[in-house]
Amino acid sequence: MNANDHVGEMAALYALGALDDSERAAIDRHVSGCTQCAGAIVVAEEDVATIVTAGVRSELPPSLLHSPLAERRMRKPARSGWFAVAAALLIGLLPSAYFWNQDRAMHAAMASHAEALARLAQPSVRTSAFVPIQAGMTAHVMFPEDGSWYVVVVRGVTKALDVVWMHDGQRTMLGTTQSYGEVAMLYLPKSHRMDRLALLDGVRVVAQARLAY
Amino acid sequence: MPPNGRSHRDESDDALATAFAAHERWAFDEAYRRYVPLLYSAAYQVLGNADDAADCVHDALARVWRSTDAYSRTRGQVRSFLVVCVRNAAISRVRAQNRRRHLAVRLAAEPHEHAEIPQSDPVERDRLRAALAALPQEQRVPLQLAYFEGKTHTEIAGELREPLGTVKSRIAGGLRKLAGALAPPEDRT
Repeated sequence: MNANDHVGEMAALYALGALDDSERAAIDRHVSGCTQCAGAIVVAEEDVATIVTAGVRSELPPSLLHSPLAERRMRKPARSGWFAVAAALLIGLLPSAYFWNQDRAMHAAMASHAEALARLAQPSVRTSAFVPIQAGMTAHVMFPEDGSWYVVVVRGVTKALDVVWMHDGQRTMLGTTQSYGEVAMLYLPKSHRMDRLALLDGVRVVAQARLAY
Repeated sequence: MPPNGRSHRDESDDALATAFAAHERWAFDEAYRRYVPLLYSAAYQVLGNADDAADCVHDALARVWRSTDAYSRTRGQVRSFLVVCVRNAAISRVRAQNRRRHLAVRLAAEPHEHAEIPQSDPVERDRLRAALAALPQEQRVPLQLAYFEGKTHTEIAGELREPLGTVKSRIAGGLRKLAGALAPPEDRT
């Protein structure tokens, strides 16, 4: 499709998802400057919605009873008060390099770890930075004096990283960070004291942190 | 918030669309409440699995929410915009599954076979089934391959051994005809 071509019958294919990525991108570019074709896409998408409506299923899985946003809010209802207090404290206490207000990705990550959040709000929490870190990426681990739990936060990478405990020339796998947009987290709710952690991309160590208690 | 303290549920589709475009939280939750059965159906029709479909709906909507400029009023109604978002997410999953399956087959050095589509009969309602059956076969078959199996028009042309332009026209014509047959009487043109 050339930039000047109108979408024509491609509107139907676009709405059905029957184009490959490059064709879809070409239409997106064209439609951004062509109201006539934008209208054709809207009509085709309405057609698709009409067909879906005809085959609508009456039963809904329980997991869909709440919106993704509401679910995050409601996952720990008993802690909602704690959450508000902890969130406020957390934003004020932790390194501003990667926590700031109005950051939706960070809020989503925090909301899904209400327990971690409550713990992070404790004044005795310690923080160690991972080094070296690649451009555009920061990573920290937060933990209490007794090393009974750990929270690893990585910002600026889209892929999941493995977190390992480095000890006695060995690596013990602790878990994999879970991505929430620009922020990825791993919460270890129960642990023993560890003094050296590493982030792995596959088998390659990309950063290490030494933990001072 | 909607004006005059009215309930969100009273808002018109147009008011909802305006608030949705402005990234207002209540509009997202209200759109979810209104359309989640439809969105779930859109995902289920492609994926044929309840858990995958539910997961897909949440993923797609979370992505829409994170992207502050995903929707604007020029994109039409929120309902059809979200349906297409969810369908595209479901199709991406199917294509990724197919790629993994093909890769696994190649790695195992097994002879290539046509990928089996897991859904036995994804058409859930008689009305849709009847409307599909009423389409001429040359429109019905490529449309079904695009709609239920998430295939691209290039793949469909190859599978049916028809010219690309022919397949494109048949899918577009089939979509219009099917939607026309299924639209409420007042919407039919």
